[in-house]
Amino acid sequence: MKNINLTRRQILALGMSGAFTMALSACGGGNGGGGNGGGEGGDEAVNATITVWGPQEDQSADNGNWLQTQCEAFAAEHPDWTLNFKYGVCPEGDAKTNIGTDPSAGADVSMFANDQIPDLLKAGGIAKLGGGTLDAIKANNSETTVNTVTYDGAVYGVPFTGNTWFMYYDKSVFSDEDVKSLDAMLEKGKVAFPLDNSWYIAAFYVANGCTLFGADGGDAAAGFDFSGDKAAAVTDYLVDLVANKNFANGDVGTNADAKAFFSGTWDYQKAVDAYGDNLGIAAAPSITIDGELKQMKAFAGSKAIGVNPATALYGEHPQVAVALAAYLGGTSAQQAHFDTRNIIPTDVNITVDDALAQAQMDAMDFASIVQPLQADMGNYWTPAESMGKELVAGTVTHDNAADKTEAMNTSMNTSAVQ
Amino acid sequence: MNEDQINVRNALKDGDLFTRLSAVVMGAGMFGHKQVVKGVVVLLIEIAFWVFMGTAGFYNLSMLPSLGTQEQGEVWNEAKQIYEYTAGDNSQQILLYGVITCFVVAGIVALWILQMRHSYKLQKLIEDGEEVPTLRDDIKSLFDGNLHITLMSLPCIGILIFNIVPLVYMISMAFTTYSKEDEHLILFDWDGIHQFLRVLNMNGNIGRQFWHVLAWTIIWAIFATFLNYILGMVLALIINRKDTKGKAFWRFCFVLSVAVPQFVTLMIMNIMLQPSGAVNVLFQNLGLIKEPIPFWTNAMLARVTIIAINLWVGIPYTMLQVTGILQNIPGELYEAARMDGAGPMRIFFKITLPYMLFVTAPYLISSFVGNINNFNVIYLLSGGGPTRVGDTAGQTDLLVTWLYKLTIDQQYYNLGAVIGIMTFVILTIVTLVTYRNSSSYKNEEAFM
Amino acid sequence: MDNQMAKNKLSPRRRLVNFLVHLLLAVLALIWVLPIAWIVLTSFRAEPGAYTKTFLPQGYTLNNYVKLLTDRNVLNFPRMFKNTLIISIFSCTISTFFVLSVAYSLSRMRFKFRKPYMNLAMILGLFPGFMTMVAQYFILKAMGLTEGAGIRIGLIVVYSACTGLGFQISKGFFDTIPRSIDEAAVMDGATQWQVFTRITLPLSKPIVIYTVMTAFMAPWVDFIFAKVLCRANADQFTVAIGLWNMLQKEYIYQWYTCFAAGAVLISIPIAILFLYMQRFYVEGMTGAVKG
Repeated sequence: MKNINLTRRQILALGMSGAFTMALSACGGGNGGGGNGGGEGGDEAVNATITVWGPQEDQSADNGNWLQTQCEAFAAEHPDWTLNFKYGVCPEGDAKTNIGTDPSAGADVSMFANDQIPDLLKAGGIAKLGGGTLDAIKANNSETTVNTVTYDGAVYGVPFTGNTWFMYYDKSVFSDEDVKSLDAMLEKGKVAFPLDNSWYIAAFYVANGCTLFGADGGDAAAGFDFSGDKAAAVTDYLVDLVANKNFANGDVGTNADAKAFFSGTWDYQKAVDAYGDNLGIAAAPSITIDGELKQMKAFAGSKAIGVNPATALYGEHPQVAVALAAYLGGTSAQQAHFDTRNIIPTDVNITVDDALAQAQMDAMDFASIVQPLQADMGNYWTPAESMGKELVAGTVTHDNAADKTEAMNTSMNTSAVQ
Repeated sequence: MNEDQINVRNALKDGDLFTRLSAVVMGAGMFGHKQVVKGVVVLLIEIAFWVFMGTAGFYNLSMLPSLGTQEQGEVWNEAKQIYEYTAGDNSQQILLYGVITCFVVAGIVALWILQMRHSYKLQKLIEDGEEVPTLRDDIKSLFDGNLHITLMSLPCIGILIFNIVPLVYMISMAFTTYSKEDEHLILFDWDGIHQFLRVLNMNGNIGRQFWHVLAWTIIWAIFATFLNYILGMVLALIINRKDTKGKAFWRFCFVLSVAVPQFVTLMIMNIMLQPSGAVNVLFQNLGLIKEPIPFWTNAMLARVTIIAINLWVGIPYTMLQVTGILQNIPGELYEAARMDGAGPMRIFFKITLPYMLFVTAPYLISSFVGNINNFNVIYLLSGGGPTRVGDTAGQTDLLVTWLYKLTIDQQYYNLGAVIGIMTFVILTIVTLVTYRNSSSYKNEEAFM
Repeated sequence: MDNQMAKNKLSPRRRLVNFLVHLLLAVLALIWVLPIAWIVLTSFRAEPGAYTKTFLPQGYTLNNYVKLLTDRNVLNFPRMFKNTLIISIFSCTISTFFVLSVAYSLSRMRFKFRKPYMNLAMILGLFPGFMTMVAQYFILKAMGLTEGAGIRIGLIVVYSACTGLGFQISKGFFDTIPRSIDEAAVMDGATQWQVFTRITLPLSKPIVIYTVMTAFMAPWVDFIFAKVLCRANADQFTVAIGLWNMLQKEYIYQWYTCFAAGAVLISIPIAILFLYMQRFYVEGMTGAVKG
């Protein structure tokens, strides 16, 4: 019945005859309230076209056609389903734009960055996962990883890789001991950090006890706490940092003489080009504030695979979409993803022996907080970015550091239009 | 036959059977008065209209007042181990389809009036014993006396569907709660003029920024328009001087930049002027500066840089556009000035500039409007930045880029629409005042 | 003789002025040419990345062009080029027809809707363009032009649909063609259609070429609406989207020099076209405002 309502509304709204026959035939397939049971064996026969969106690199021959290969493998596992795959190119960071504008025309299954969950949800473009799918996610991933795809207590995607930043450095300049403290590093060589990027700058504030939505990021009402002495002390620290001759804003691309910089897996090649055999990779260091060492905490997120409830396929055969998402984020697909494209898995059943993977896992482990998934998180980015830019420009000084910090905090806690 | 008497009221009052029948069965009047094909076409349009209204139109209109109330439903299906979703209403689409339906209704009303008058006219022609134009005559006239109908129908339909309808839809958004505030992205309601009050309230956060952005927008547009115009003209004059050698070569140097697509130039300029971009590297390597110049992070410098780059982009165009016009300035004017012993500067300001301003006023107005809405230059160069802590609008944001940020990035669609309307109002005032006073409008025939 | 004498006397000063003028032109030309030269050099640069230690490249290579034209891994540039070319050709044909039709009607015909149309066009031109974008997407969707190959048609429709509003320059040009020519033709029994196609258009070569050129360039530079309409349909991407993508965080390091190569490649045809048609551009503009 629900389906019939949907299609009727579409017909009415569109008033175009073309949609009419298609919609009617869509009703024909109808789901009489389940009964046939999903799960492993005994699938009900399905004949459907399923649209999958992911980044171009996953779909190109040079990288082993990961997406196509996995989708074919999935189809082979479900002989009762006759599936016709349609692929689209949508980097994980663009899912919210490409699906959000018009969810009903979006992909059935797509890859997205976890911070887009609230926006996708508000647009009605992402479905809640439950039952067996949810159990599998929880069994295969660490709690931190599961938290990255949990919003308001529900899980919305199958995570397949972590998304955070850490440090690339030149081993000939910094020792293993040096890279544990930013201040020690600054004495040895030039360090570049993207201070004007709000995804990075939070690490300093969080190091000294500033919080986003409470201690665990789950308390929407708590808002941002970037106020008081603890935050002002960080701003003071940053004023000195910017003034330090061995500090540069940016990375090794913008400051070729930098001997250490902060970025994620996507800049691995840049780091290799810059440091060659001397390349070292480690989690973010600690900073010294008021004589105490404080661990910097990067935002950690994940990339995940989700299903879109607004599409026609979900209306008819939701189990197919959910099963495909689970498969693409499952153990064997993650292993293949690592083999073809070095995408570092989140699945705890996979062991990888690789410095880059180790650094990312370390970072997720002790040098990060889960980037909060809250609707109001949107109020964070611009004020934090402005703070970083003003610091770099030198308009924040020791005299006005406290005031500027308060202004940033106030602005984070007020909606942009109040 | 008196044209004034051909109106709907007379048609209903004095019409014969066919004419009056047209009020219900559209086209009947033509059908009955020897214009069968036209009558049938009009009737078919009416039938299509009623089919549309029956299947979709009435529903669309009925949803318009509430803009939808049904939320998306979510049910756990234990057997399938899946959450099932029922589609809810989507206010955005309801509003759009509602607006489209209103246009369809307005269109049929217009057609109804036209066909009533036409039927009555045909009836009168027959009564007066005059000849009724045949289909062949009509088609012939479409390529002669009525050529404008043939030529302009398609462009007008395009403008109606892809400009006017979307604009009305966007304008109506300004009167709703469509924004991420209080979760009104899928379902929203009518909201009166609340958002307008918010923007106009100078004490509020949005209101305060609005006036700042407006001020910079106007300053920018004035600089961008007039500097480009005057400097482009000076360049053209210098190149076209009698004594300048290698005119074609110089022109080539400047025209080359026109060939590179503008957004590519702008993106490259943005990167070149970064602290570690090519320009700073060049200056540092030459030993001119020690610290990189903060082109994009210092507000004043960013503004100057943007205007300068806009000159780089715009001057070659202006140069090309005015080259020919400059040569049209009557030589006697110059001769007379030279007789009086005026120097080149004096001649430029006393003769060249006034003449050019007079001749190219419409061009200047449209370039002013273009600059107020110059999205690319700001968006691709500074991105509106630098932004003061606590603001949504950066210090180089124009109304149009701020509008983009508020809608696409921040999802305050209603506020964006309000700002779009305000931009429009300001532009209308500027344009009407200048355009109506310009000689070209007053005396179109003689001038343009 | 006197005149000649006076000229010679002024000569040193004049020579100085001439020298200064040429010096100024040389400096200006350098400012204008340098960024272009830099793009060209960058397109041959061997080192990757957007930022380098030196202004000039350290090494030169053709690989950027090879990669741009052969790589199917991330961006399929030849396909984007083909898409854009097809879209441009069609939308350019339609827009040229629209612009010239409207301009001719407004210049030569007299009808009730004429003044209102001109005022309306002015008013509509005052609204920021992308306010209409989202609605245009849904209208195209209702027409079924947002999926697969329909996207191409959708883009053609969007790029050409509203061009009837930009008639001003062409109308200005038509206004300068003496009406007596039309009247003579009409006396000889020509219809308005014949006047338009056989007399006015052949006399308006500069403005026709001007219109064709501006219309042809539009699809190459629009990256905003093309992105909205193409969404994830990579096989429909246009050049502008591709170039835009190359500068995104994930790609900029590996692709920046290819971006420069792409910029050079699409600039070459436009540059040739423009340099060749320059004369018409100047004439068109001049005619449009001639007294």
